[in-house]
Amino acid sequence: MAKSKRIGTQNLGRFYTEGKVRNRREWRGLADTAYDYSRWLYNWFNMARIVLVKPRNIKAMFRYRWMGNYLAVPMMVDRHTQGLRGEHLRICHAEQDIIIEDVAKLLDKLFRADRRIGNDTEFNKKVVLIDENAMQSVMMGFPGIVPLSREIASTYIPVLLNQRAALHYIDIAQEYGLAGDVCPMPEAEAGLVIDDDAPIVGCCAIQCNTTCDGSLMGNGVVYKRLTEEGIPTHQLAVPLRHREDDVQEYAAQEIRNAIAFIEEHTGEKWDWAHYFECAKRVNFATRSRLEWMEMSKTDYPQVFGSNLALYTETNYMVVNGRIPLFNEADKKISALAQKAYKKKKLVANEYRHRAIVWGVQSHYYMDFLVWLLNCWGIIPLTDMLSMVSTKIIAEEDTPENREQAIYDIAWLTENMLMRNRTHGGYKVLLDELWEFVEEFNADMVILWEHMSCKALDGMHGQFEEKAREKGIHLVWVSHDLFDPRVISRQGVRDQINSYMRTVMREEPVDPSLEVLSDEESW
Amino acid sequence: MAKKMKKNLLKLLLKLVLIVVGFIGVTFVVYFYNLDMKLTSAMEPILTHFYDKVKRDQHL
Repeated sequence: MAKSKRIGTQNLGRFYTEGKVRNRREWRGLADTAYDYSRWLYNWFNMARIVLVKPRNIKAMFRYRWMGNYLAVPMMVDRHTQGLRGEHLRICHAEQDIIIEDVAKLLDKLFRADRRIGNDTEFNKKVVLIDENAMQSVMMGFPGIVPLSREIASTYIPVLLNQRAALHYIDIAQEYGLAGDVCPMPEAEAGLVIDDDAPIVGCCAIQCNTTCDGSLMGNGVVYKRLTEEGIPTHQLAVPLRHREDDVQEYAAQEIRNAIAFIEEHTGEKWDWAHYFECAKRVNFATRSRLEWMEMSKTDYPQVFGSNLALYTETNYMVVNGRIPLFNEADKKISALAQKAYKKKKLVANEYRHRAIVWGVQSHYYMDFLVWLLNCWGIIPLTDMLSMVSTKIIAEEDTPENREQAIYDIAWLTENMLMRNRTHGGYKVLLDELWEFVEEFNADMVILWEHMSCKALDGMHGQFEEKAREKGIHLVWVSHDLFDPRVISRQGVRDQINSYMRTVMREEPVDPSLEVLSDEESW
Repeated sequence: MAKKMKKNLLKLLLKLVLIVVGFIGVTFVVYFYNLDMKLTSAMEPILTHFYDKVKRDQHL
């Protein structure tokens, strides 16, 4: 298998401590350390400029429990840049830095609108609260409206920053008698609302029928509180059998209804010129993602793992072509990837296996993908949540395309991250996995088994049967998404370690990463 | 006169260089030894103390 030698990438485990943070940052050679340092400085400067200089945001820091997790932002970047050098380090920063800036702006807008903090009533008239599980494509034709998702800021991102971020809210939800065997993500969102820890924003809200029992339960709790706060809420009910032709008209009508609801409550009108401008950017992002995936099918993949996953989650689900800066990042990433590809560069010291990562991944351990590569030489070529729609949508403003656009928005909404695989029949979850295995020339499937996700757990046997038939190494990795008390980070790693040692009879590429003392770590 | 101005300008430049080098030196030490994260991790319990004191309308 391919090998390369890069400065200081052995023994990455030596940076881990038993506390919350690492003992020091990596020495990556002069040029790359200087570059990483400059980006660290830039990120601190950006966070200070957008968030920390405003008194209302400081007030929010002391009001909302989840805000404390944002202290760990630079550490999140360090986790995802672990072992990276040259173009790959720059690709990671191109993604992470723009996401940090985008989230900082989200926080600033949230607190500006929040009735408890900024209480800017004029601004609030143009704010639409969007369910974290809803694609924001329905906002592509509303340039004058500010769509905000408080769940993204309060639960989704904090768990990427700090593995224990959601535990308080999960416990609160269960103290109030909500079921403990549902997905911890919607449970934490419900707990946040019960605990009165969600900013009160928006002139109206859009909720989406999401993917599981937990989400339906959580949305009920959130809906009740929104009603008490006087925020009218629309239910965007998207069909689950999204590959069937006969549901598309219904899905399109749901989009028309949502647009009419937003127009009614904000006084804004749908702007076709702006919509098609965004559609062009959505297509550009799709083409860029396809280009990166084509590279991943060769011996020299360049954009994969958490670099692909975290960026796709943000760009595909939240941005939807509404922020031009993301197209600039797409261009930068493609240029860097092409440069590295031409030089046949490897991202890690050694490549041994090519894997597709499937299932709902653990959020308290997203940097597992980097670990797979550095510890065992397993390339996480792509993951389930990155395998979203690659359809090119209508982008020219014509009368026919205006009708088509409604269907395109519906298609994107139906193909939200996770929903497009966990619902829609066994073809999208099971059959297409094996098609991707062939396309990407993978010899291994890492299958996340999210213990509380009934949608996936029901297919356990069928995955195993097919993997045996095809002779593919299938490695199950159990976890509980937001709750590391059920299965810890080391518990996650041990499942890979024991497979690699007992079945594959291999020794780790970097033995210092095999067992890590990060139980208390952010 | 011109000589004096040149001298002052050089002094100013030197000061600027020293400030920039000092800033880079200090921040690089903070960066490399992860002192920013060590400080923020020490702040977490203080913030938790405030969060526990916030009055809340806690209900289902």
